[in-house]
Amino acid sequence: MKERQFPRARVDCLSREFDSDLLIYDPQRNVGHCLNSTAAAAWKLCDGSNSPSQIARTLSRQLSAPVNKSIVLLALDQLADAHLVVEPVVLAKRLSRRVAVRRIGIAAAIALPLVTSIVAPTPANAASCFPNGHPCVSAAQCCSGLCGLFSHTCGSILIKKR
Amino acid sequence: MQKLDRLGWAEGLALSAFGVRAGVRVNASGVLPRILTVLPPGWKKSRRVIVQRLYSLVVAQSSERAGMRRLHVLYSDSMRIARDAALDQVLAALETDLHLYIAEATSDMTFLHAGVVGWQGRAIVLPGRSFSGKTTLVREMLRLGATYYSDEFAVVDNFGLVHPFARPLGIRDDSSHAQTKYTASELGVASGVKSLPMGIAVICQFETGARWQPTPLSRGQGALELLANSVAVRSQPQQTLRRLHKLARNSLFIKGTRGEAHGVAASILNLSCARKQLETA
Repeated sequence: MKERQFPRARVDCLSREFDSDLLIYDPQRNVGHCLNSTAAAAWKLCDGSNSPSQIARTLSRQLSAPVNKSIVLLALDQLADAHLVVEPVVLAKRLSRRVAVRRIGIAAAIALPLVTSIVAPTPANAASCFPNGHPCVSAAQCCSGLCGLFSHTCGSILIKKR
Repeated sequence: MQKLDRLGWAEGLALSAFGVRAGVRVNASGVLPRILTVLPPGWKKSRRVIVQRLYSLVVAQSSERAGMRRLHVLYSDSMRIARDAALDQVLAALETDLHLYIAEATSDMTFLHAGVVGWQGRAIVLPGRSFSGKTTLVREMLRLGATYYSDEFAVVDNFGLVHPFARPLGIRDDSSHAQTKYTASELGVASGVKSLPMGIAVICQFETGARWQPTPLSRGQGALELLANSVAVRSQPQQTLRRLHKLARNSLFIKGTRGEAHGVAASILNLSCARKQLETA
């Protein structure tokens, strides 16, 4: 397995700590991420000068618990999927969470890294709207953003009946 | 816009809400009182003549020719956003667009798509997309004695406090999804006046026959759910994150699938009570 050499966290993202979790907003992709404590700690150590082995050692010190390098690789994999690290090196063989759990063992002293992501809504998506087929007079009223010009129903395409 | 400006305008007003200024003008007299009913809660008349967005309502005059249908037309600045023979429908479109514009444009507050009730000095926030059952749950909590704050937006200030946005509740008909509006007083419930800290945020989705077995979320996961319902997160990410951070402190987040609203509403209110008793103990 090829090791990620020196992963570097993106610096253009906004972040806030919520207890041990870290909420990150990516303004380029309009995506929000929640990193649990392990993923957050790993992400903060991605400064371009730490290798995964070094990150694992530092995490062990910080968390006062043994941290396997596989845990760091799993975290980096998830961070790379979320586009939170710059130019990630692709692993020759992808480590799935299930495989990682098996390899690390269920008795790991720390939580497995977890990155949860959501796409930020557009203003229209974050408001009440009508479903397809519902009568409408304005595109803003429809969840689909489409109000039929002739049918006056949501989600209709603009074809005139013959 | 110049073409629109040349039309004869009978009446209009400039308004300010949450720091956003908008204007509405109409070409027929006597329509303004109906427009006032769809303006956002807490709006004030503005003396300034320059507004950030101008709505122009062209009311159809009665047709002299038989069989000819005249339509009312609504413009947002120069863009036509609604056209219909029924004035109520066009006014509903004005309400939707204006409220959403204010939610998006204000920098004073962060608007979250959520139902909100007040209960024992805390706000219970129910974020969720359309058809997740927010209004039903809000209505059920009101029936159990909660105070009405909003069925559409949780309005969060710089201190993380939730302000009321008590527009009339839009209760949908089960089959047609058509909304009927009821004010809090029509429902015989009290509307919230002062801002409240958030006690519990409940992320739930309605599913027929589902059993309510919510699981707690971490504050980060809960804040992510709130972020997913933030109106202006794309345009104001920094402010949104800052306010969510303040809103989420000392709050409990739970998530689950719910069935009928009655038992769920009672369970949430009981949980809020229990949490408050724990805090005070």
